[in-house]
Amino acid sequence: MKRYDCLRLLAGDIPEDALAVMGVGLVSREWHSLRPHEANLYQLNLGCCTPVAAGLAVALPQRRVIALDGDGNLLLNLASLADVANSNPSNLVIFVFDNENYESGGGLPTVTVSGRVDLALAARGLGFKNSVLVRTVEEFAAEARAALKRGELSLVVAKVELGTVASLPALHQDGKETKYRFARYIERTEGKRILIPQDRPRASKPWLKEG
Amino acid sequence: MKLEAAQAVIDGLKRSGINFISLMPDSDFAQVQHLVARDPEFTYFPVSNEAIGVGVCSGAWLGGKWPALVIPTSGLLVATWPLTCLCMAWGFPLLLLIPYRGDIGEGLWFMGPYKDTTEPILSDLHIPYRNVSRIDEISPAISEAQVSTQSWLRPVAILLSGETIQ
Repeated sequence: MKRYDCLRLLAGDIPEDALAVMGVGLVSREWHSLRPHEANLYQLNLGCCTPVAAGLAVALPQRRVIALDGDGNLLLNLASLADVANSNPSNLVIFVFDNENYESGGGLPTVTVSGRVDLALAARGLGFKNSVLVRTVEEFAAEARAALKRGELSLVVAKVELGTVASLPALHQDGKETKYRFARYIERTEGKRILIPQDRPRASKPWLKEG
Repeated sequence: MKLEAAQAVIDGLKRSGINFISLMPDSDFAQVQHLVARDPEFTYFPVSNEAIGVGVCSGAWLGGKWPALVIPTSGLLVATWPLTCLCMAWGFPLLLLIPYRGDIGEGLWFMGPYKDTTEPILSDLHIPYRNVSRIDEISPAISEAQVSTQSWLRPVAILLSGETIQ
């Protein structure tokens, strides 16, 4: 199973206004090529993807939030799954693309290559009621759709091959630009002020008269 | 921490508009944690380590919340990775509240190293900070730090010491 094929299915299944948070590496470039959107947060570094997605999901409980995490990225902070399960945001689905490798980080294997480490089982032990492992595109399609429809916190671990598609476009966007685009998108769609929220940046300026 | 100091922290958070708090349990902030956990004005997201808290707060801010991260002195060391790869690299704001264990007057030997790490790490991470040692300074310091972190789009820290954590 190729990650790109899973992402292509997912891009067609999520609501137009779904918020997508993803890890650093090829998954960000692949998702950007399939679903370029202001609602994407690309290239979250190791250990950060799922926590950021969880904070977003709790802050915006009416919006669908998906995390596109990886085995190496998630393993750096596996305890985050326990904290997310404890918080239990019903609008969050976490997809973990497990290629058993730090593919973008030099090609060495992660611990899941041994076959003894099962991230879906770990998630169940850490409090996820809905957590499955899939190995085929058909299984992924069925479980992803079920998770998106369920309305409960869910996690899908997809065992995927190494590699990506030919001629994958580069992502010419840094975190600061992504932040500004995303924040302005949330402001527009949620009617909130996020960037520079104060009308008057100091609490009081007694020498300034009102009116 | 005396209840008076804990209530001053809560007062400062509310006056600043903070409505999302991630917190790592810590003896110095136990009173604050209990007050936050049962206060419906705060969305409360407890975490198992401080690095997770930085990520959760960054996501919450992008969703329109005004977050604060309340962590032990040692937790600053744990949080350095996402403070760097998220807050520095992306320019995320974050109000950090940290009890300054290891400041002069500290009596526990194993808190001593934090005198060597806390302020240098904040400086290395380009996180402006203020030392607050009096209870009546807590609330205004939090308000001012919140104004600055939102405007500057980088974390700002309050280090609580002296009578504020006794």
